[in-house]
Amino acid sequence: MAIRPSVEGMTAEQLVALRDAWTKSQALVDDRGFGYWAGVHGLPLPISCRHSPRTQNDFLFLPWHRAYLYFFERSLQDRNKAAAVPWWDWTSDGSHTRGIPEAFDTKKIGKVRNPLREARVAISPDDVKRVRAQAPGTITPGKVPYTRRDPDIPDELPRKATIDSVLAAPTFEDFSTRVENVHNAVHGWVGGTMTLVPVAAYDPIFWAHHAAIDRVWYLWQMSPFGVDPPAAMMDTVLDPFPMTVRQTLNINNLGYDYAVEVIH
Amino acid sequence: MATMDALQPGAQPGVLIANLRYARRGEVARFLRADLVFNGVDHGGLSYEVRVFLNVPTATGATPRDPTKGYAGRFVVFGHGGCFGELGHCDVPSVRRDPTDLRPGHPLVPQTKIVTITTALERLLDKRGTLETVALVPWVYNGFRRKNGCKPGVFKMSDVTLRTYG
Repeated sequence: MAIRPSVEGMTAEQLVALRDAWTKSQALVDDRGFGYWAGVHGLPLPISCRHSPRTQNDFLFLPWHRAYLYFFERSLQDRNKAAAVPWWDWTSDGSHTRGIPEAFDTKKIGKVRNPLREARVAISPDDVKRVRAQAPGTITPGKVPYTRRDPDIPDELPRKATIDSVLAAPTFEDFSTRVENVHNAVHGWVGGTMTLVPVAAYDPIFWAHHAAIDRVWYLWQMSPFGVDPPAAMMDTVLDPFPMTVRQTLNINNLGYDYAVEVIH
Repeated sequence: MATMDALQPGAQPGVLIANLRYARRGEVARFLRADLVFNGVDHGGLSYEVRVFLNVPTATGATPRDPTKGYAGRFVVFGHGGCFGELGHCDVPSVRRDPTDLRPGHPLVPQTKIVTITTALERLLDKRGTLETVALVPWVYNGFRRKNGCKPGVFKMSDVTLRTYG
């Protein structure tokens, strides 16, 4: 069972394993590597991510991203078994003081580039042109585009009271709508690459952000308000992942947890 | 309900004013929850938020988000940043009625956004008795934060409705 730690609560060993897995993943340019997984969310086409409903019973934002994190985390663990995607507690005092957590912000580890700070945006030259023309500032200039951030002031990050309000949602649809709004706001808070659906997942902080969203869903599932998604969407396949909504509901069946300790 | 076409221009280009009237009936609020429901919200362009102010028709991008002065909340749109396909790729087809068409909806199907304004509306009704206007202040997120701001043309929707639940 992999335990996803908070970014600020990671041990030195957990951080070393994460960086090792991420570095190896970023070095792979085939469908095992970071570029491939980041591209599943947006560019290159098709844009597969699911957000607000497109039709009735289509609240796939939470299950789709849970499946996405699951497959990405497994790919990291193929590079380093000890790696687990940490969750970014945007509500913590640390986040409200420094903003982006240090592990994802430090430029270099010794003389080596921190793989959690930025990543190459592995899209076609035509798509690079379009991103730069249609959304200036979302990726770096130069021949090889990289992610960039332009964060807002730290105290604009979500507060605990906001998350408590989200956790009091009485239905799955209401919960999904509320938590997606918090999610969208953090994308805007980070700025740069994170502001745009087609390239957001190339920023390494995307994954810690989505682990935090996934954890809020997990907390809501365990709360008195937590209920399953509507029956009509339970067997929907979360394309391109061979997984249904139903299969995402129990994270222990997916081999991970957010608990500090799991006693078998 | 107020349709997009019926919205009035506000105090700054891009700001829109919806005339949504709601008055308290009797001594006690007759609702447990109040939502502003925005239908047909476009998310094909840059990301943006829409700040909602009750009875503040002078609201602009510089208006403080102060709940005691009419600020009621916001919704945030995570944008696609334009089209990345060939001609027609981002044209959203009309709703399919063929039950054998099992394809998922187009990624750019307009969204529904909800801002729960229960506390803000109760506060206003306690003070003034009547909701007259809802000011919608769009705030665009650019890649470069210094270029963020209240801008016209980014926020598009079909209509906004006030829903109260008893």
